[in-house]
Amino acid sequence: MTTFDTASGPLPAVGGVSFDLNQNETLGIVGESGSGKTVLSRTIMGLQQRQNVTVTGSVLLNGFEVVGASEEEKRKIWGLEVAMIFQDPMTSLNPVMRIGKQIDEILRVRLGMDRQAAKARAIELLELVGIPSPKDRYRVFPGELSGGMRQRVVIATALAGSPKLLMADEPTTGLDVTIQAQILNLLEEIKAKMEMSVVLVTHDLGVVATRTSRVIVMYAGRIVEIGTTRDVFAHHRMPYTRALLEGSPKVSNPSHTRLKAIPGRPPNLLNLSQGCSFAPRCSFATDRCRQDRPELESTGTPGHSFACWNPLPETRRASA
Amino acid sequence: MYVQEMVEETALPDRPERKKKLGVIYWICVGWIALNLLAAIFANFLPIENPFNQNYAVVNAGPSLHHLFGTDDLGRDIFSRVVYGSRVSIEAGLGAIAIGFAVGAPLGMLAAYRRGKFDSMLTTFMYIFLAFPAIIATIAILSFWTPRSLLKIIIVIGVASIPLVYRVIRTATLNVATKDYVVAAKVQGATDRRIMVKELLPNVAPIGVSFLLIGIATVVVLEGSLAFLGLSVNPPTPSWGNMINEARTILQVNPWLAIFPSLAMCLFLLSLNFIGDRLRSHFEVTESKL
Repeated sequence: MTTFDTASGPLPAVGGVSFDLNQNETLGIVGESGSGKTVLSRTIMGLQQRQNVTVTGSVLLNGFEVVGASEEEKRKIWGLEVAMIFQDPMTSLNPVMRIGKQIDEILRVRLGMDRQAAKARAIELLELVGIPSPKDRYRVFPGELSGGMRQRVVIATALAGSPKLLMADEPTTGLDVTIQAQILNLLEEIKAKMEMSVVLVTHDLGVVATRTSRVIVMYAGRIVEIGTTRDVFAHHRMPYTRALLEGSPKVSNPSHTRLKAIPGRPPNLLNLSQGCSFAPRCSFATDRCRQDRPELESTGTPGHSFACWNPLPETRRASA
Repeated sequence: MYVQEMVEETALPDRPERKKKLGVIYWICVGWIALNLLAAIFANFLPIENPFNQNYAVVNAGPSLHHLFGTDDLGRDIFSRVVYGSRVSIEAGLGAIAIGFAVGAPLGMLAAYRRGKFDSMLTTFMYIFLAFPAIIATIAILSFWTPRSLLKIIIVIGVASIPLVYRVIRTATLNVATKDYVVAAKVQGATDRRIMVKELLPNVAPIGVSFLLIGIATVVVLEGSLAFLGLSVNPPTPSWGNMINEARTILQVNPWLAIFPSLAMCLFLLSLNFIGDRLRSHFEVTESKL
């Protein structure tokens, strides 16, 4: 549970989130803006411990307890066990450092490589992320690269320490649609090559659909549905998940189909109702929804749970 | 074939040429400052008259071939005194700003990076310091701290400039410290020290440098004002400020004694300010291109 102390009282940004991540798995975390995706991923990274933030609970990364760990302890896993790539490649590279040097850093400082070896490895990494003529690019400044290229460099820096978990916080939001697909494919490719787990945080269901094995749907800082990607897309029970799906464009729709927007806005987390946070915007909401908060319950399919009092009817599953 | 060639050509790293056009005036200013510095350093070796040599045969003379800027009321060569006088101004400017940066810049960076209690306490303290009218405080301290020397002036102005430097550097660092690349370096496992030196410092430096130049100019003015009030180096040591002060009483007889040191100071300050301003906008543009 991550709580922000704000001027208007404690703000529970993320709460009651619990999940396991398996090795070599890609997990998607989706939700609207402000649903707590970024706070969650930063909490997992252990970046959320500041003066005005209280984190409770437990985050175990390969046996390492992140919550409550000191900066010094976390520094041991940062880069080597977990790495992170950020939303905006325009700001996630140091503008006054040659890109090669930015990859070198971790190799030299953390892995103790010498200058030559680090440079060779950095060039290898640049090649791995699909930078053309990596030897020459090693010496360029971020300002000389396009957004897509920069995001590739960001990925290369994140991969330098061969992390076992890669947190990707909206890695494609700042990029052109055509580049988005390239970057996502690249992530997938690298994930397979380097045998790591990926957490893909996004508001774009299309991103999640084909590239993740499991999906978490978040709303107002809580998990409202979790399951395999197939289950969540095809057999979702939570009305919010459906609303999200209806809100994203489909190629199979006839042209000029109006997208269904979800009415209203995400709730103010400072005064959440006792009931389901989605109730005010939900067309199925009853009095019970407004008074009691539903907890996650299993659909019966292993690993697929949802939090709703009035779930959508179970859809017929293809023979398992 | 043709297309292939073109693709290859663009794929190869023809680094975009970064034209750093700073303009002619900028280089004239740089040249002028360089000239001033050289003259101040090598004044002893220049073929100019001894600034302390009094010659009662030519008192309050106008510019001539023999005395380029004329002579003062004691028959001393004004040109030579302007050159030697620049030493005081330049030393005061460099010295005081060096103190200001040596203390203010690391504190500002540290506060902006660490945030929290350390930052709020330090910033409050600095702002209280800043609320004090610096010139009045400087004058008060210098009038009691006798005998006066250039070193004391440098220390007093230098200490007074610490909160100013602190504020500028802190603000600039705050801007940088919230950028993703700093967080990225952190989750790569970089130590705080490394982040400060490798990530923050190079990105704050451009702002620091332009503020440094404008800061030197400000100190030169301040030293001039102090000298004019008779609170700087003791006569007969020349400084631009005390020459103007000496000229005050004989302005009608010998305006040259006021004009030349004023002109020297004016051009020096103008050049510094122009360079500082030019550099700032130059870096700003470069940054927005990134």
